Amino acid sequence: MKEMLKATIKNLFSKPVTVKYPEEPSPPPIGYRGLIVYDESLCIFCTKCEMVCPPGAIKFTYKDNGKKEFHYNPYLCIYCGECVRACPKPGCLTQVENTAEPAVAQDIPEWNLIERKAEESKRKFLAERAKRKK
Amino acid sequence: MGKRITVPFGSQHVALPEPVRFVFQTENERIVDVEVDVGYVHRGIEKACSTRFKYMQVGYVVARVCGLCAISHTLGYVTAIERLMEVEVPKRALYLRVLVSELDRIHSHLLAMGHTAEVAGYENLFMQTFRYRESVMELLELITGNRVQFDYVCPGGVNRDMTTELEKEIRKKLKELEEKCLWLKDVFENDFSLNLRWKGVGVVTKEMAKEMNVVGPPARAAGLETDVRAEFNYLPFEEVGFKLITRRGGDIYDRNLVRAEEVINSIEMVKNVLDGLPEGEIKVPVKGLPEGETFVRVEAPRGELFYYIKGTKKMVLDRVRIRVPTFANIPVMKKLFIGMDYSDVPATVISFDPCLSCTAR
Repeated sequence: MKEMLKATIKNLFSKPVTVKYPEEPSPPPIGYRGLIVYDESLCIFCTKCEMVCPPGAIKFTYKDNGKKEFHYNPYLCIYCGECVRACPKPGCLTQVENTAEPAVAQDIPEWNLIERKAEESKRKFLAERAKRKK
Repeated sequence: MGKRITVPFGSQHVALPEPVRFVFQTENERIVDVEVDVGYVHRGIEKACSTRFKYMQVGYVVARVCGLCAISHTLGYVTAIERLMEVEVPKRALYLRVLVSELDRIHSHLLAMGHTAEVAGYENLFMQTFRYRESVMELLELITGNRVQFDYVCPGGVNRDMTTELEKEIRKKLKELEEKCLWLKDVFENDFSLNLRWKGVGVVTKEMAKEMNVVGPPARAAGLETDVRAEFNYLPFEEVGFKLITRRGGDIYDRNLVRAEEVINSIEMVKNVLDGLPEGEIKVPVKGLPEGETFVRVEAPRGELFYYIKGTKKMVLDRVRIRVPTFANIPVMKKLFIGMDYSDVPATVISFDPCLSCTAR
């Protein structure tokens, strides 16, 4: 009891360990896992990142001319970094240290729509390719 | 006299960190009957693991079963899948796994100790314990890159490597942490009011522990020598100085002291890992499809964690079964409560350190 009492009195007059966050900054430590940044100029569209992503936060939609488009939902992402490790082109996908800003529904991409579009366009693309092969 | 009163404890209660429900039938504050309900936070994770996610992704899903033993859950699953597919994991990765799993144990044990102190009405000690716990969280954040969802262990090895600067930082913080934890152990051992409150309350005898299959610190506090780290070969614990800690009292006081001593032992193990960290790869690629079935036992901070997986040469596993330590400890709690005063209930429940997000998953 004596020990704890001593510590309590000491704590009364010492500085708090907590950070007053909105007034004082609370930066993430070095090597913090944050958002995924995509560089289209380096991408070879192998869709490996789409296949490994556990929550399905990366989707590719197929355009009519066969080109693919990258979509990323930062609010679904779990920041595990699996896509960065799966990417065969170094530098195409990188993980930065800041996480997604708080946002309202209007700012977030309509993910259900993109998911559906990705699936439909992929099916269409594959069917057309099969037809061409015949 | 003889009139029974029903007292519900949970699912929301000031003393409980998580939703478990006990319904007590009491006679003059003495409990005569008890019912338990643990299924308040069911999320269907086992089903999701065997329908939606590929076997390489399941590690990230089971990490979300519980925030406190995230490392243990992933470790259990990953060990199971490695045994199934006969993957030889590099030595460096195994050592790094020991490192994170022990740090995980330290912060979980400090949380449990803090909560027990809080329930005993000792708010100061609770705050102090949590203050010290914060430094472990910071260490884990530095190593894995996140405070709660570590995502460090993966099939075939670990995701991140240890650098020399990081090692220096960890050593510095560990030294401070060890002093703090020794101080904490001293307080938990010798504090007058805690002794008064905890000694002889909620006693689990060795026979009772054996009969009811108690796991983890409560079993070791009762004198039962059970620790998966010594029984099941999944990580090189013997090489880094693992000691099996047991006490004989079996009450709340002894449970907390077992935790405190394990924290000290874990710090020692982390130091030994840093000293003898072998060079080499941290990851080997995992190829092929899982076939067959296997089970793995892992020592989570709360006790034995059991994983059973079954695969039939498909990307998605057939079955993932998790049995968590809290579930194993519920029967003995039920037996313990009968004949106990209602006022001792919160302290006893918290001293078992129940994790309901694991239990209901």
